[in-house]
Amino acid sequence: MANDAVLVVGGGPAGLEAARGAADLGARVVLVEERDHLGGTPIFERYAALTHGFQDAEEVMERLTREVTTHPNVQVRLLTRVVGCEGSAGDFRVRLAKVGDGTSETVHVGSIVVATGFQHFDPGRETQVYGYYEYPDVITLVEAEAMLKAKRFVRPSTGQPPERVCFIQCVGSRDRQIGNEYCSKVCCGIASKQAIEIRQQVPNCKVYIFYIDMRMYGYWENEIYWPAQEQYKVQYIKGIATEIIQKGDKLLVRGEDTTLGRPMEVLMDMVILSVGMEPSKGTREVARVLGLKQNKYGFIEVPHEGLDPVATSVPGIFVAGAAAGPKDLDDTLSMAGAAAMKAVATVRRAAASPAG
Amino acid sequence: MPKPGLDKVDRIYEKDVAVLEGMDISGHWNRMFEQRVVWDYSTDVLERITGLPGGESLGWCYQCGKCVPVCPVDVVGDYGPRKVYRKAQLGIDLLRDPDLWLCTTCMNCLRVCPKEVNMIEIMPAAREVAVQEGRVPPELQKVFENTARYGNPMGESPRKRAEWVKEAGVPVTVLPLDPRPVDVLWYVGSYPSYHPRGKDAARAMARVFHALGVDYGILGHEEKEDGDSIRLAGEKGLFEVLAEANIRTFRKYTFNRIVVTGPHEYNAFKNFYPRYGGSFDVLHYTQFLAPFLPRLREMFVKELPYTVTFHDPCYLGRHHGEYDAPRRLLQAIPGLRLVEMPRCRENGYCCGGGGGGMWLDGFSRDYLRERLSDRRVREAVETGAEILAVCCPYEVSRFEDSVKATGNDGKLVVRDIIELLDEALGSPRAT
Repeated sequence: MANDAVLVVGGGPAGLEAARGAADLGARVVLVEERDHLGGTPIFERYAALTHGFQDAEEVMERLTREVTTHPNVQVRLLTRVVGCEGSAGDFRVRLAKVGDGTSETVHVGSIVVATGFQHFDPGRETQVYGYYEYPDVITLVEAEAMLKAKRFVRPSTGQPPERVCFIQCVGSRDRQIGNEYCSKVCCGIASKQAIEIRQQVPNCKVYIFYIDMRMYGYWENEIYWPAQEQYKVQYIKGIATEIIQKGDKLLVRGEDTTLGRPMEVLMDMVILSVGMEPSKGTREVARVLGLKQNKYGFIEVPHEGLDPVATSVPGIFVAGAAAGPKDLDDTLSMAGAAAMKAVATVRRAAASPAG
Repeated sequence: MPKPGLDKVDRIYEKDVAVLEGMDISGHWNRMFEQRVVWDYSTDVLERITGLPGGESLGWCYQCGKCVPVCPVDVVGDYGPRKVYRKAQLGIDLLRDPDLWLCTTCMNCLRVCPKEVNMIEIMPAAREVAVQEGRVPPELQKVFENTARYGNPMGESPRKRAEWVKEAGVPVTVLPLDPRPVDVLWYVGSYPSYHPRGKDAARAMARVFHALGVDYGILGHEEKEDGDSIRLAGEKGLFEVLAEANIRTFRKYTFNRIVVTGPHEYNAFKNFYPRYGGSFDVLHYTQFLAPFLPRLREMFVKELPYTVTFHDPCYLGRHHGEYDAPRRLLQAIPGLRLVEMPRCRENGYCCGGGGGGMWLDGFSRDYLRERLSDRRVREAVETGAEILAVCCPYEVSRFEDSVKATGNDGKLVVRDIIELLDEALGSPRAT
């Protein structure tokens, strides 16, 4: 394969959009995905409605996937990992290995887009105060999302619809002890979106959100937060809970109501932990293989020189989506477009000056 | 206060003097402990209030707290619009809480509210339920009964409604006695008809109208309370009866426009009577008189070398955006110097009389450190003014009382703008 091709690593929203963009610009694209299917986290974790816009995640991702897989300029390699890389901008030789059988091949590309995404914070990992691994009715946004998609939102302990559900925000984010000092950016919106979906699917269920401060930037404020409160009567309480204690068949959520300055001890049927984002295993691995600088949290570092939000520490290698840090879908897709454009430009520039 | 040694207690209430059903329960006999831990966040109260027509926006509050610093009641007590939402979230029933009667519907919270939580609609909607369920402070109940029976909140005889005319010193056309077509139907209002100081303003108005050659008439004993504050206090049914009666009376006569003495009538006739089929051109008297200023300037014969400060009525200013007409009239008076209080115009401080507050001073006393009117009088005195000018009939009585209550007798005089105009026109009867 000649060096006029672009390698895209990762088949989620960022990778698919980068592949489609580069292919539409006329470049040949090799799209590598470690899993046996495209669609990334929204498909793997069975997301319900997307934030924002409330479109069905599966439909949207299928449409995007189809546009990529049917594109004549794109070759898709599923169950494939990047295991080695040599060369520089305009002239990379990347070694790909098949997951399972160990067979490998080397592709010759001019530029690379890394779109290896994030993984959800594991709330049982370092702190056990919320009892995630002890209480079946303490779940995460991820599990709630899958239940909402299945249209069967029930207490895991009983299989019955809950009457009282609360979200606890900032789980695994904004926390020096855990090491994740950043805000994961999307959880306020996703919790509020799920709160709306719960109220739609289980109208008798009361929904509470315990928060430090609601971070509903841009249109999420008027499209998600305001309807959640005004139309769906979701109760927002300032102050996140410290601990959860089993009390009979309920969960006692203990914390402080900070605007009253009084302790709160409220019973819930279910608690949903609003877990944040961490770099995926794939992101850490690809950064190491490609020699990309990572920030202290393990995300791929964007040098932020010259207003280039898709640059990495290696010229000719670009990053899109949550591999570079917490991102919503709008940010992810915008980055993917920019990365595709820069990747194709790198290829073209190399072709115009064969010496470079 | 003794320490109870209970770590779950937030607040301890104890009245030094308390009598319950004839039994003295002063001191520790009436001690009550407030639960410290929040056990639940109920949505029942919020659902009930937001389910009322007009109550919807209570559920929109996102607790920014912008309303509280501009709430005139919060300055002297614990009530604040943001807190109404918070208390509802904690399951405290607004319909049974003193908060229900403390809001004066002054609209300063709505002016600054990013979410447009509208207490001007929430409070009457919630009060209407309390009224229907028979939970009304007795002094307000008395006002409802007086108004229903006599057509005025004071319970005065309707036949005496135009008695003030006798001492006006100028002829006044009373339409039921002389039903000729007029240019202006002057709706006098209950306080200018009956309250001693209100009557002074009514007589001054008659003299100023006469001097300007205004072709006007009044309704005499056929005029009834406009009912706007009755409606805001929760007696919507009574308001409807009053509105329909007044509209019927208006229709009996031929006129081009209505001029009102008070901003509350202005609000009723402009915004609410049309819903009952009564659409009329209506002007507050300051708006009616402002275009006469060139002539008034020629007619003024007396210099009034007073320093005057002006109190914006909530229902003329914030509710209807009229800040200039009263000021233009004052500034045209020869010799008069107008000084502003820090809280004026859009941010004017409420006198406490709106939304039924006029008839709840006894009730509010238990929840406020001082009356809103007392607070306002202090602000007026601080400007160095010797006259506090007003143009809402509720205010003369409220502020005169507060001048005495705050020990400012002799330092500050309360006068309606119309009285000052009357004096500048050289009326021998003007005080």
